[in-house]
Amino acid sequence: MNCKDCVERLETFLDRELSDAEVVEVKRHMDECGGCVQRFEFYAELKRLIFHSCGQERAPLELRDKVGKLLA
Amino acid sequence: MDLLSDAAVSAEGLATQTPRLVVMPDSDEDFAAEAINHLDSLYRGALRLTRDPEQAQDLVQDTYVRALRYQHSFHTGTNMRAWLFSIMRNRFWDRLKTQHPGDVSLDDSRDDFPLYERVKDEADGPETLALNRIAATEVVAAVEKLPALHREIVQLVDVEGFSYKDTAEVLDIPIGTVMSRLHRARQQLQKELYQYARESGILAGKGTE
Repeated sequence: MNCKDCVERLETFLDRELSDAEVVEVKRHMDECGGCVQRFEFYAELKRLIFHSCGQERAPLELRDKVGKLLA
Repeated sequence: MDLLSDAAVSAEGLATQTPRLVVMPDSDEDFAAEAINHLDSLYRGALRLTRDPEQAQDLVQDTYVRALRYQHSFHTGTNMRAWLFSIMRNRFWDRLKTQHPGDVSLDDSRDDFPLYERVKDEADGPETLALNRIAATEVVAAVEKLPALHREIVQLVDVEGFSYKDTAEVLDIPIGTVMSRLHRARQQLQKELYQYARESGILAGKGTE
């Protein structure tokens, strides 16, 4: 696997959607390629940033009450 | 291809297509207990879709009303969160199409945005550090600038952790379309974040423009 193949699999790798065999290949490439490691770390950090930023809101109590009554 | 034909299958449609020999949930209490567990997740999804707390509350409430109505079409043991999300997004799109019919298509530009290269060039220090200087509220603001089809797929995959398969089910599109739409959504989001980083001085802007 070269850098181009590796970068093409970046998103599916970070989404944990790559097959086990391909994960092995990506990791093998990264063992020898600091450039790809840095790139992957950057996009992994970006994914974490989005996860934390957009995953904080909680349903307001008012809504929780209403839904609770609906389901009761 | 990335238009809204997928919204055509409504929750009602799913309900009537379901065979009659569906196994009923063990009890109504089990259904209710599990359904309430997904409230925060649904509310965040509704916030991303509507970009308005009041409308988000209405949409979530409406989703639960419909979920109860179509409770018989839910298969116990399958993914209830995905089922609830599909009810919610179909409801949202049904409303949106009648209110703002122009807002359902996507800007489908084909150019990839080289965020990593830009940040590497323009950041004062390690690239990941530049990311960490972006406040959560700014990330939400950037996501909310995207078209609704892009906001929803980022929320499903990156925030709520849906697999491609479950996302495909919720959006009623093939997995290949999930991957291409997600890619476009991320490119657009990265462009927005880059713009913000430039304007706020996080990046120095040694590039062009």
